Amino acid sequence: MIPERKPGRSAGAPVFFNRKLTMPTAVDLQVQLNLDSELISAFYLLLQKGVRLPVATGCSVIKLLNDQLGIAEAYVLNRITTLFLDGKPVDDLTSSVIDNGSVLALSAALPGLVGSTMRRGGHLAAMREAISYHPPQAVTTGSGTVTIKLFNIPMKEIGPLLVERGVVLTGSELMTLVADGGARFQKGCDSVTLNGRSSPCAEFTEQLPTIMAPQQTALVKVRWNEAVSQRTGVPPAEGAS
Amino acid sequence: MDKILRINMGASGGPSQNIEEAGEFSALGGRATTSMIVAKEVPPDCHPLGAENKLVIAPGMLSGTTGAMSGRISVGCKSPLTGGIKESNAGGQPAQVMARLGYAAIIIEGKPASDDLYKIHIDKDKVTISVDNSLKLMDNYPLVEKLRKEYGDKAAYMSIGSAGERKMAAASIACTDPELRPSRHCGRGGVGAVMGAKQVKAIIFDDSGCTHRQPKNQEKFKAANRAYVEGIRKHAVSGEGLPAYGTNILTNVLNEAGGYPTRNFKTGFFEGGTKISGETQAELEIQRGGLATHGCHRGCVIQCSGIYNDKDGKFLTKQPEYETVWSHGGHCGIDDLDTIAMLDYLDDNIGVDTIEMGVAIGVAMDGGVIEFGDSEGAIRLVRDEVGKGTPLGRILGNGAEMTGKAFGVDRVPVVKGQALPAYDPRTVQGIGVTYATSTMGADHTAGYAVATNILKVGGDVDPLKPEGQVELSRNLQIATTAIDSTGMCLFIAFPILDQPETFDALLDMLGAFYGIKMTGDDVVALGKKVLTLEREFNQKAGFGAEDDRLPRFFKTEPLAPHNITFTVKDEELDELYNWS
Repeated sequence: MIPERKPGRSAGAPVFFNRKLTMPTAVDLQVQLNLDSELISAFYLLLQKGVRLPVATGCSVIKLLNDQLGIAEAYVLNRITTLFLDGKPVDDLTSSVIDNGSVLALSAALPGLVGSTMRRGGHLAAMREAISYHPPQAVTTGSGTVTIKLFNIPMKEIGPLLVERGVVLTGSELMTLVADGGARFQKGCDSVTLNGRSSPCAEFTEQLPTIMAPQQTALVKVRWNEAVSQRTGVPPAEGAS
Repeated sequence: MDKILRINMGASGGPSQNIEEAGEFSALGGRATTSMIVAKEVPPDCHPLGAENKLVIAPGMLSGTTGAMSGRISVGCKSPLTGGIKESNAGGQPAQVMARLGYAAIIIEGKPASDDLYKIHIDKDKVTISVDNSLKLMDNYPLVEKLRKEYGDKAAYMSIGSAGERKMAAASIACTDPELRPSRHCGRGGVGAVMGAKQVKAIIFDDSGCTHRQPKNQEKFKAANRAYVEGIRKHAVSGEGLPAYGTNILTNVLNEAGGYPTRNFKTGFFEGGTKISGETQAELEIQRGGLATHGCHRGCVIQCSGIYNDKDGKFLTKQPEYETVWSHGGHCGIDDLDTIAMLDYLDDNIGVDTIEMGVAIGVAMDGGVIEFGDSEGAIRLVRDEVGKGTPLGRILGNGAEMTGKAFGVDRVPVVKGQALPAYDPRTVQGIGVTYATSTMGADHTAGYAVATNILKVGGDVDPLKPEGQVELSRNLQIATTAIDSTGMCLFIAFPILDQPETFDALLDMLGAFYGIKMTGDDVVALGKKVLTLEREFNQKAGFGAEDDRLPRFFKTEPLAPHNITFTVKDEELDELYNWS
C-alpha cells in the first residue's frame, strides 16, 4: 500500500477548500456519480492527463488556486512546490497569469537533479532558464476554461476534492473512466444522477454511449460514500454536494 | 574496514589471494576508494578487458554500521564502454556484508590462462576461490537460486549474467536485495564485462559471526543517526514522494516540462506518459498485490523501490526505476508497463544496464531494426538476441554507440560512448553540461542535486539567473563525487539540500564513527581530489576537450514543444575543470 501521509510527518499545511467554486453550466449534461471512496483511484489517470474547469481568467496562479479553487495558500506554498503553466516551470505564483485554455500542472517536490531544477524558485532554477515561465506584458480578464493536471501527492490530496466539486469531462473521457473501472466501478458505484434524474449505475453505463457523444461535455461531480477527508487526511470541501 | 583483499586471477598455478592493510583507504569508501586505486594501479591506456585492468569493489564509509542509507557498493575499473575511468554503484546487501567482514576494498586483477569460470566465497575466516564451470552462461536469477542451495540465504551475492561472460560493454554486476533477488545492479559502463573478463562469475559474502562495525563514539553516532533519519523522514521528497511513487514519480513532470526524450530524442513529450507514470505504476502494483514501497537494502529509510507483479499476481521484477521506464518506454515509443517490467526483468537476468540497453533498442528502432512502439519486438531483441548472444544481440549488448554504427544511425545519444539518461539536455541545459563533461560519460547521477548551497562550493549562485550553467554543474559534480565517496544513497541529497541540520547530522555521523571532526570543506576537498584523479586518468587514456561534448544534433535540432537547442558554448564547457 502507498502509505497515507502520517500526521506530523510532513511539514506541509493541510488542504482547505475555503471558498465555494461557482461552476458555470455551459455543458451538455450534468452528471453526479455516487461512488465508494475506494474508487478515487479510478480518477488518477484522468487527473494526470488533466481535467477542465470553467474559471475567471486573467488572474494569477495563486489567485486561481486560492480564491477560485479554494485551496489554502499555506497548502499551495508548502506542498505544491513544482508548478507548470503551459508546460513552463513557474517560479512566481503572483505574476503568472491564467488565460483561457491555460494548462496548469501541480506537483509536490521531486527527486533527482531535474526534479530539484524544476522546483519553484529553487536553488537550481537557472539550469532550466530556457523553458522557465515569464509573465505576459498585458493581462486581460474574462472567463474561460483551464485544464488542471494533478501529479503525485497533490493528485491524492486535491484530486478527490476537485472531482467532488465538479470537473468538465467529454463523453469520451467519461466512457473511458467507466470502461477502465470495469467491474470495480460497477461495484463501487451506488447510483448516478443525470440532469437531476437518478438511475442505477448499470443502467447509466449501459446507456452512456447513447446519452453522450464522445465530443459532448458533461459537468461531472462525485459524491463519495464517506467523507474524502477521512481518506486524504484533509478537511472536507465547504459546500460539497 | 582495515584490510584490502587482492586477488590475482592470472597467477601461475591458479588464482592467488593476498590480504593487505587498508592504510589510507580504511577511512574512505565508495567512489573515492575505487577511483584512487584504479588511478594508481591501472595503466590508463590498457585494454579494459585485458589482464592489466583491475576490478575494484568498495563499500561506503558507513556501510556495515547501524547508520541509515549506508548500503551502496561501488565498483571501479577502466570502462569497456567509455574507455575511461568508471565508478558504478548499486544498493542491495553486499556493501553491508562486505563491510562487516572488514574489507575496505577487493581488488581483482590479472586474467586466468585457462577458460575456467570461478566463484569467490568470502567469510570471516577465509577466502575460497574455486572453479565452477557448471555456472557457465547462467543468468542471474537461476544463478543465484543455484548458489543459494550451496551457500544459503544469509549470504549476499554479486554476480554476472550471460552478458558479462560474453563481455558485452553494457554488462552489469548484480547485487542481491534483502529477498536475495539479483535486482540491484552496478549498471553503467560495462563493469560486468570486466568481471567477465576476469572469469569471475560470482562473489559470495557471508558475514556469519560478524557484528555491526562499531563507531569510535557510540553515543554521538546514535544521536547523529537519529537526527539524520528524522531529517530524511520529514522531507517531502525522501519522506513522501519517493516512498509512494519511487523515482518514476518523474515521468509526468519531465513530460510536462517538455524534457522527456521521446523516440530517440526526437521530441520532448510522450503522448503515452501518463500510462507509464509512477502514479499509474504504483496503483497497478498495489492492485496486483505487489508493493509500491520497498527498500533495496536493510537500513533503508526512504524505501523508494517496490515489487512489480504480473497480471496473475506473481513476482515479475522489482519496481522499475524512472530511467528504466523511460529507456524502454518513451524512448522506444512503448506505453505499456507490463512490457517495460518484462524488459527490466530480462535486463536484470541477463545482466545489462537498463539505460544502455533501452537506449540501444531505441537507436536500433531508429535504424529500422524494429518499429518504434513494437513491444513484442523489444522483448524479442533482449530475450532472444542479447540473451542468447546472437550477432545482433552482441551489437545491442555493446551499447547505443555500437548499435548506431552497425545500423547507420546518425542520431546516437551518447557522450564518451555512454548513453544519455532520461533528461533532455536541451530543456535543462545545466544537466547537459554535466553529461558532456563528466569523467564517467553521460550520467545523470554525476552532478546530482547535492547541497552546493550549504557547502558553498564555488560561492552562491542566483537561482533565477541563467548565467553560470557551467559553474553550477561543476559545483554539483564536486559535491556528488564526495557523496558517492561516502557510499550513501544519493537520495539523501534532498533532505541535506534543504535542511542544514540534516547535512550536519551526516557530518556528525561520519565524525563520530571515525573519531574525527568533518566539515563541509573536507567534503569539498575530497570531491575535488577524486574528480581530479579521474580527469587525469581519462586524459592519459586519450581523452581531450573534444570528448567533453554533446552529440551535435542537440545543438542543431530544436526540441519540441519548446523548440530549443543546447546553447552552452564549447569554450564554456572547457572551463569546467578550471577550479582553484
